[in-house]
Amino acid sequence: MADVTATSVDGSKGPPIGAMRLPRQLSQSKAAYILLAPLLVFFGVSVIYPVIETIRLSFFEIKGLAPAKAVGLGNYFKLLSDENFLRALRVTFVWSFSATLFSVMIGWALAMACALKPRETMVFRVLIFAAYGVSEAVVGFIWLGIYRPDYGLVNGILGGLGLENMQQAWLGNPDTALTAVIVAYVWTQVGLPLMTCFASIQSIPRTYFEAAYIDGAKPMSMMRHIVMPLSLPGVRVAIFINLLQSLKAFDLIYMLTGGGPVRSTETVGFFMFRESMLNFKLGYGAASTVVLLVAVLIVSTPLIAQRTRAVK
Amino acid sequence: MTSKQTSGIGRRTILGALAAGTMLTPFGFGAAHAAEIEGELVMINWLAGAQGEMMEALQADFVEKNPEITFRNIVPTSSGDTRGGIRTVLLGGEQADLLINTWPAFRQELLDAGMILPVDEAWEENNWSDLLADSWKDLSTIDGKNYGVTYTFGDRSGIWYNTGTMEKSGITPPETWDDFIAGFAKMNEVGITPVSIPAKIWAHAEWFESTLLRVAGADFMSKLARHEVPWTSPEVVTTFEKLAEMLKADCCLDPNTMLASIWRDSADTTIKTGETGYMLIGMWLNTRAKQEYQLEPGKDFDIFQFPAMGMGYDNQSMVDAKEFNVLSSVKNIDAANAFMGYMLTADAAAIMADYGLASPSSAVDPSIYDPVIQRAVNEVVSAEKVHFVLGDLLPGDLVHEYRIQIQKFLQDPSDETIAAAVQKIEDVANSAY
Repeated sequence: MADVTATSVDGSKGPPIGAMRLPRQLSQSKAAYILLAPLLVFFGVSVIYPVIETIRLSFFEIKGLAPAKAVGLGNYFKLLSDENFLRALRVTFVWSFSATLFSVMIGWALAMACALKPRETMVFRVLIFAAYGVSEAVVGFIWLGIYRPDYGLVNGILGGLGLENMQQAWLGNPDTALTAVIVAYVWTQVGLPLMTCFASIQSIPRTYFEAAYIDGAKPMSMMRHIVMPLSLPGVRVAIFINLLQSLKAFDLIYMLTGGGPVRSTETVGFFMFRESMLNFKLGYGAASTVVLLVAVLIVSTPLIAQRTRAVK
Repeated sequence: MTSKQTSGIGRRTILGALAAGTMLTPFGFGAAHAAEIEGELVMINWLAGAQGEMMEALQADFVEKNPEITFRNIVPTSSGDTRGGIRTVLLGGEQADLLINTWPAFRQELLDAGMILPVDEAWEENNWSDLLADSWKDLSTIDGKNYGVTYTFGDRSGIWYNTGTMEKSGITPPETWDDFIAGFAKMNEVGITPVSIPAKIWAHAEWFESTLLRVAGADFMSKLARHEVPWTSPEVVTTFEKLAEMLKADCCLDPNTMLASIWRDSADTTIKTGETGYMLIGMWLNTRAKQEYQLEPGKDFDIFQFPAMGMGYDNQSMVDAKEFNVLSSVKNIDAANAFMGYMLTADAAAIMADYGLASPSSAVDPSIYDPVIQRAVNEVVSAEKVHFVLGDLLPGDLVHEYRIQIQKFLQDPSDETIAAAVQKIEDVANSAY
């Protein structure tokens, strides 16, 4: 959901749109809890229980279909000395940082460009956002074709430009595979920042532009001093969502590289999948899941807290 | 409890069973067919593509013969190593009668978890020994009890080629390692990359395993599979060095292309388009070439046995097999036994032969097979010893590391990489058993 909190140029804060508080009488009444109860029960069954079960599993050694054996914190200690897990952590950091940075930057830039001609760029925005809604498995299939070493689009373009020496197996080279997957992933993710930033820009009152125009501001100056700062709430939301999305990304990596070559694209999410579902060491895989969960909480808690403060 | 199982298959019994093919009658099916069977037969069936279609055809034929039976296939969702998907299905509580299994190590795991039942009683009642050689029974025997009924097998030491590429290169199938390497120059001259090694997931290990069989033999491989000898053994190092000879003789595309391709890519370039010369894979390529490429076995494409190295193990072959396991959740044991019996009949073998696969049953007249299957069967039958695919015998995390290290070796086939690779595999093996 786009954050369209409006802080006016004179510094006064109005109530953020979408963050209107309920009347005090309702929010403090028992009715509020009764209304929330079904949702809380559903949330408990579908989210809290699996999390608790995963944490419980992480204290067991489970190999294949064999019975579980309690190992306490053994799986966590093992993770800390597992070079493959530590590599997966590094890959996850590079992956999440790069994917979020580029998708938000591109989305934001496109949003500002589209804001110049909102009506004329509507179809373009819809098409970009459509990629966000396409299954990553389908995207993976498309990009497998784009990156094919023999007749893939990328190598075809390079050949057409006379850059044959740059043609290569993009997904088979450990030095380029992660970048190649990030590019494909960014392609799928740009749509969301585009929409949130565009919504932020659209919520900027026209009067600011009129005042700037009267004062003789040039378009680029208005972009820099009005559009960019006032679209930041949309950027923040986009960073938040894209970062969380990237931390749990799996499908596209699975489709394009399967975590390879030589584990160069193995994120913590993929490590978890391999240990749990391929090697079927469920306890060990669960421990890595818990680590990923903690990482997600570390990332999301400050952002959620910041949004909560903004609402209050 | 963990117990030992065999990984080698006696050649003589296979030979005996196949040689007796046309003389024996399918007693097993006769006995099973006579029983009243009805109801639903639930199978964990992970076969895909043309092999999946083959299983559909087999089930349809069985239903035609037993109209009171219906099939329900539980299809595990997975890619790469299907065992993960099967485990998920089983732990998820799915109740099935039969499981298709191709991994001896997985059979052991299922037994340790109490998820499969012995088939000895059905074996005796249905006289399956008249149709299946004792070696197949031995293969699926653990601690004196038999847990599987093998329905197909394949030669994994057969190198596949398109006959046109050989003609274009002006060479004939090489019999020795030196001839094999020497032929690369001629292939490269005419623009054919001699060998296609698809190394994205698992298929690159095929080359390592068939080379190891020539270098060290089936007995050593069995010991390696049980980790009774270390991965740092000179035999393993020599195997890598032999493969390095191949790589240094311009056998292949650049390592990154190898690491980006799967076996189907190799099949396309080797068998369909002829851009690459040789590939090493299981008999399902025969199914693909016949059903999907519409090529004629023996005429358009063929196989030859992995070249001799003169190290004492040239008459040995790598094999794979698929079997049915009866799950402990079985509800319709009569139908399950009847279907396993049916799979040993000449009717079932004829359907499998159409799809390019061989049956181990002696109820089969080998003349029904196409030239490629016949050659593969003959190679297995005439082998002094055969050994099951090594990767299918290793624990999951070890096999993953083993494949990763071969990937690293393909990128840099130096002595340093070899030393590091065998040490790394050994380290993981030490914690995997």
